[in-house]
Amino acid sequence: MLSSVVAKRLVTGVCQAAWRPAVTGLVSSRGYRGDAPDDTRGDLIEIPLPPWEEKADEPTDIKRRRLLYESRKRGMLENCILLSLFAKRYLNTMSENQLQQYDRLINEPSNDWDIYYWPTPDVYQGEVMDMLKEFTKNRNHEQRLDAPSLEYLDKESQ
Amino acid sequence: MASVRAASRLLSKRVLSKTTTVPAASVQGSRNFHFSIYGKKKNAKVSDDISTQYPVVDHEFDAVVVGAGGAGLRAAFGLSEAGFNTACVTKLFPTRSHTVAAQGGINAALGNMEEDDWRWHFYDTVKGSDWLGDQDAIHYMTEQAPAAVVELENFGMPFSRTEDGKIYQRAFGGQSLKYGKGGQAHRCCCVADRTGHSLLHTLYGRSLRYDTSYFVEYFCKGVIALCMEDGSIHRFRAQNTVIATGGYGRTYFSCTSAHTSTGDGNAMVTRAGLPCQDLEFVQFHPTGIYGAGCLITEGCRGEGGILINSEGERFMERYAPNAKDLASRDVVSRSMTIEIREGRGVGPEKDHVYLQLHHLPPQQLATRLPGISETAMIFAGVDVTKEPIPVLPTVHYNMGGVPTNYKGQVITHTGGEDKVVRGLYACGEAACASVHGANRLGANSLLDLVVFGRACALTIAEEHKPGEKLSPLQPSAGEESVANLDKLRFANGNLRTSEIRLNMQKTMQAHAAVFRTGSVLKEGCDKMDAIYQTLDDIKTFDRGIVWNTDLVETLELQNLMLNAVQTIHAAEQRKESRGAHAREDFKDRVDEYDYSKPLQGQEKKPYDQHWRKHSLSFVDPKTGKVTLKYRPVIDSSLDEQDCAHVPPAIRSY
Repeated sequence: MLSSVVAKRLVTGVCQAAWRPAVTGLVSSRGYRGDAPDDTRGDLIEIPLPPWEEKADEPTDIKRRRLLYESRKRGMLENCILLSLFAKRYLNTMSENQLQQYDRLINEPSNDWDIYYWPTPDVYQGEVMDMLKEFTKNRNHEQRLDAPSLEYLDKESQ
Repeated sequence: MASVRAASRLLSKRVLSKTTTVPAASVQGSRNFHFSIYGKKKNAKVSDDISTQYPVVDHEFDAVVVGAGGAGLRAAFGLSEAGFNTACVTKLFPTRSHTVAAQGGINAALGNMEEDDWRWHFYDTVKGSDWLGDQDAIHYMTEQAPAAVVELENFGMPFSRTEDGKIYQRAFGGQSLKYGKGGQAHRCCCVADRTGHSLLHTLYGRSLRYDTSYFVEYFCKGVIALCMEDGSIHRFRAQNTVIATGGYGRTYFSCTSAHTSTGDGNAMVTRAGLPCQDLEFVQFHPTGIYGAGCLITEGCRGEGGILINSEGERFMERYAPNAKDLASRDVVSRSMTIEIREGRGVGPEKDHVYLQLHHLPPQQLATRLPGISETAMIFAGVDVTKEPIPVLPTVHYNMGGVPTNYKGQVITHTGGEDKVVRGLYACGEAACASVHGANRLGANSLLDLVVFGRACALTIAEEHKPGEKLSPLQPSAGEESVANLDKLRFANGNLRTSEIRLNMQKTMQAHAAVFRTGSVLKEGCDKMDAIYQTLDDIKTFDRGIVWNTDLVETLELQNLMLNAVQTIHAAEQRKESRGAHAREDFKDRVDEYDYSKPLQGQEKKPYDQHWRKHSLSFVDPKTGKVTLKYRPVIDSSLDEQDCAHVPPAIRSY
């Protein structure tokens, strides 16, 4: 299913995904800033949170189930809708590598807005990021009124 | 940039290790436990006191906080700082709580932009609440506000600053100077555009340095929690429990809330036989995107955005001549709804209005409202530099919740008096102190979180000591919850979870939205009662126990349903219009006096004939039957000499 171009990009993405603290490189452009001066990010620098770690020895099917929950339960509605629709389309057919990329993409950034506004640090580049960006553009003009109900999983298993 | 990265790498070496897995030695039976606890780890005891099928892991703490949003984190942090062994149980990672969506800021009368006084903030909030707010709690919140903001600053929250280095403050709807006579006040403090995230990050990060144990991705149901990671059941024993679970926007079809706002705390309290207060007061934010419901921040109107109808008219000039588009949210929502009902709506069905921004310079849009352009494009297909955004009043906030006093203690009302429920506290959107009364002002919610999160921690520290002996726990405590879990996990009725949820959401949307009227509400009540019964016929499909999203969403539906029936019954009973509760058949406020006329010569209406009182609603979970009682509003401030209470008046902007 993977073309050679996509496979190459996937490999590059995985190699570039060697750990680098991504916090300070994130693009910040969201919400309402008004007159407020720029963000000094003092809290992110002075109070670092424990770094995100990949769960070792997690079976693939369990990872898929966890990522489903974590796609549907986000900090704000925009991400709830986008990520649950994305998960409905792609999650069940992702390979182990793609699942790992997706896991990092949705769980490492501490600010959900950063996922919504497509952070650009290299550590997130890769096939899954491209899939998400493309999905968000909505070239087919699908209606995006709400997160899907869960029962699509039930039908699949029938 | 490189030096900053190096610095953060150095700092991260000193950070506490994140998780631990429970050693295999404490496992009983053939189940493999591998749950994680962030922060401080303690030994947990496993037993099958409840059922052999669902072995229970028992934990003991001085205090348990349910929910890790702004209020929960502030309470957990305050308790840990005071030396209490604290657990914080949350179904989401702390920085992913719905607080992260907050874009506005925190109101505090610091007086950095112009002369300011917390008593003016007090007046604005009392007026904003349409005189349903308890003035002692409002006094407490607005007086504490400057200290609370400075405290957050000292914790490391990087508030935006003016050129003089003082905290920058901006305008927000409903905030005025000199008791409404001095024009727009600028008292909203922010961290650029990520105040909510910064609050969560700062509090979570700080609390990890104390002894807080975080149980992340555990779904709480009373004293029992289900660990998503391995399906184990956990029981938390503590003298003090703080409920900080947020609101319940998801009872409606269209709301600005994340899918996590399911009223879990309100439901827990209801199942314990305690009342919820003022649930009929649901705030509709004027500008949610038509369709998806995503929020378009009030800041747009602060920057000069205007609402227009099908005739291209800036209609807010008629409804609020002074404040216009920056009037209080309930006033704007009502105005928009009137325009639509009178036929001046836009779109093919004429069922919404437009928010126009393209008259503003593109440069201003790009620098001050960058995120809006994205959201408008992704969810409405609109280019804000050329076209207006389709918007509609959308459910945004729940003023009601678990009733508390100004110290954060949960109260109930018996024998005509407020009585404290020992050992139970609530803060944040889940609570109803009540500071927002019938309508909340923008940027008062984040303030509510930190002030009352802190108040809960302070009250517990005043009345208890760390390491106090726990009351004995019945070995089978939590049995009902586990039985319910098991029943849902294997439910095989006829209606899927999503079907029942949609029925509930559509009914609430059609019958208990911005404008309410007796016959429509009554019909809604009957429909909701019937939908409640269908829960017995529910069908789930996922029989697993690890990361069972279907089960969690079904548990959330049970919680939502309890909130929905109370909301609609309380709305049907309340025969007046006040704040966010607007009725077409009872258009005016019904107070003890008619405040639109001089008081002299008027006879005070008896308590049971006016509506300036709080609703208290109870549900019998087995039958879904709602009972309503009432409780008087607290009209005196904490110190009448220092800050006189504000007597009721007609509310106009």
